[in-house]
Amino acid sequence: MTDQSLKLLQSWMTSVVTERGGLNDKLLWAAERHGLLVEDVVTETGGLSAQKRLGIYVNGYVLRLLECMRADFPALRTFVGDAVFDAFARAYIIGDPPKSPSLYDLSARFSQFLQNTKPDGRSVDPGITDLLDLPAEIARIERARAEVMRAPGIENDIASAESFLSFAMFNQAHLFQQTPCLRLLDLKFPLVDFLGQLARGERPDPPGPENSYVAVSRSNYHVHNREITFWQFTFLNACQVPVSLNSAVQRTADQCGFEPATVLADLMVWIPLAMELGYLRKVS
Amino acid sequence: MQTTHSQRLGLPNLGLGVGLRNQHFTYLMRNDPQVDWFEIISENFMDNFGYARHVLERIASIRPIVMHGVSMSIGGADPLDWNYLNSLKTLADFVQPKWISDHLCWTGIAHVNTHDLLPMPLTEESLLHVIDRVRQVQDFLERPLVLENPSTYLEFKESTFPEWNFLSQLAKETGCGLLLDVNNVYVSGFNHGFDPEHYIRNLPHSSIVQIHLAGPADCGQYLVDTHDQPVPTPVWHLYKLAQELTGGVSTLLEWDANIPDFPDLVAELNKAGPVLNGAVPETSIHKLRDADVVSNPVDFQLAIHD
Repeated sequence: MTDQSLKLLQSWMTSVVTERGGLNDKLLWAAERHGLLVEDVVTETGGLSAQKRLGIYVNGYVLRLLECMRADFPALRTFVGDAVFDAFARAYIIGDPPKSPSLYDLSARFSQFLQNTKPDGRSVDPGITDLLDLPAEIARIERARAEVMRAPGIENDIASAESFLSFAMFNQAHLFQQTPCLRLLDLKFPLVDFLGQLARGERPDPPGPENSYVAVSRSNYHVHNREITFWQFTFLNACQVPVSLNSAVQRTADQCGFEPATVLADLMVWIPLAMELGYLRKVS
Repeated sequence: MQTTHSQRLGLPNLGLGVGLRNQHFTYLMRNDPQVDWFEIISENFMDNFGYARHVLERIASIRPIVMHGVSMSIGGADPLDWNYLNSLKTLADFVQPKWISDHLCWTGIAHVNTHDLLPMPLTEESLLHVIDRVRQVQDFLERPLVLENPSTYLEFKESTFPEWNFLSQLAKETGCGLLLDVNNVYVSGFNHGFDPEHYIRNLPHSSIVQIHLAGPADCGQYLVDTHDQPVPTPVWHLYKLAQELTGGVSTLLEWDANIPDFPDLVAELNKAGPVLNGAVPETSIHKLRDADVVSNPVDFQLAIHD
């Protein structure tokens, strides 16, 4: 029997619960690392072995977090199927144990994990090589959606509640900025329609690779996924900090190779919608 | 409203309440809440400024709210997480809860959070450690902390206290309140072979400010706290005993997986009143294959609402 301090016991049990492998592997690893044997730590009563008792915590750990990940990525799960999704989600959970007190943070790095662990293109059927990036891209848009749902919004913003008339943008006193509940994505596939079809229970063919730009936003507590054009994407990116419209238009024109007047004309038509969907807000 | 005003630690008996869950948001925004008060999972609303916050603001304007946390890790050997406590206090400033509760447990070490309520070694060292941390948290939050007995599936050989004794000492030394989960007492009693009535009779009843009710799952050799079933008969009996011993405290029905429609949830909660008059429902414990069982389910916290 060793001296079993609170810290030692908790370190041992955390190792057993979170390390990779079966229970016996975990116990061997924890014994090596912490110098504790399960029979010296856990009481056996009522015919239930120490291993079985620990197993309740070990199994519950992964299953509990797996259920959260399933809730976070409904479209990805539908697309790749439950078995494939669970395999990747389990590997993610075991490889990167959560550190945040909030479960909302659990899935924050899942898209990057999928990108890092995608199969080597040389080892798969050439017919699906183009699709290897698709799961990570779906995860990006679903994560953006989760972020937008919780971000500070404009629902109680009095200035945003006023109807916005296009000619008001010529008022030089007005500055504009992205709302905190906007996420802009530069994607490798056109995913908005595809995700809509999945959400309706359809089984669409996966889209071929093609750059697309998506704005995920919120207004009146509804989340919007909209495909936007490159100039709109560029314009919204120019509004990361409070900026006059003239300045944002000039930057957009420079980056897109358009005349400022062309951007301004398109903006006149589009900006009321951008305000309504919660992309932009006026700031003083 | 059944609210009465017998005070414990300055905290009122709020009557009968349920957890505020995403799945019921639409119903609650369109209908009378039908219950006396709500309990929120604190972490689900911390740094959340979306629809959930909007619903919470509306509900808090018409019913008392209690904040119930799962990540304070009051028994953890890591230092207290002050970022977490700051977020908790910020949420409390917004919600103005009647009280703030968490569990006698730890959630991980070296900054890992398993999102489980892990069992404490019930030793003198642990007791002194938790006493010190409860005092720090109470000073910071400027209110008594209320701690719940968790369901447990293992005991440490190092333990020298029975859990009821540990909680009694903790309440005596810190002035903290106790959230008595009678389902957890039943589950742990079954799993470790102690008498749940003895456990409840030996708590400091004047420190109990709230009772949790829930339904567990029977996995044959052990019970698991699944929060996904009606309250079974033996748990109702423990509830009746606890209410008799305390003289009546706030009651909360927990239901966190396979969540029923709100009216059905309220119907289950409303069995609590007749139980006090001896009308105990005949409800058996749901049997499950152990491979499928998750204790302390948390997926409800992330259910998408749009």
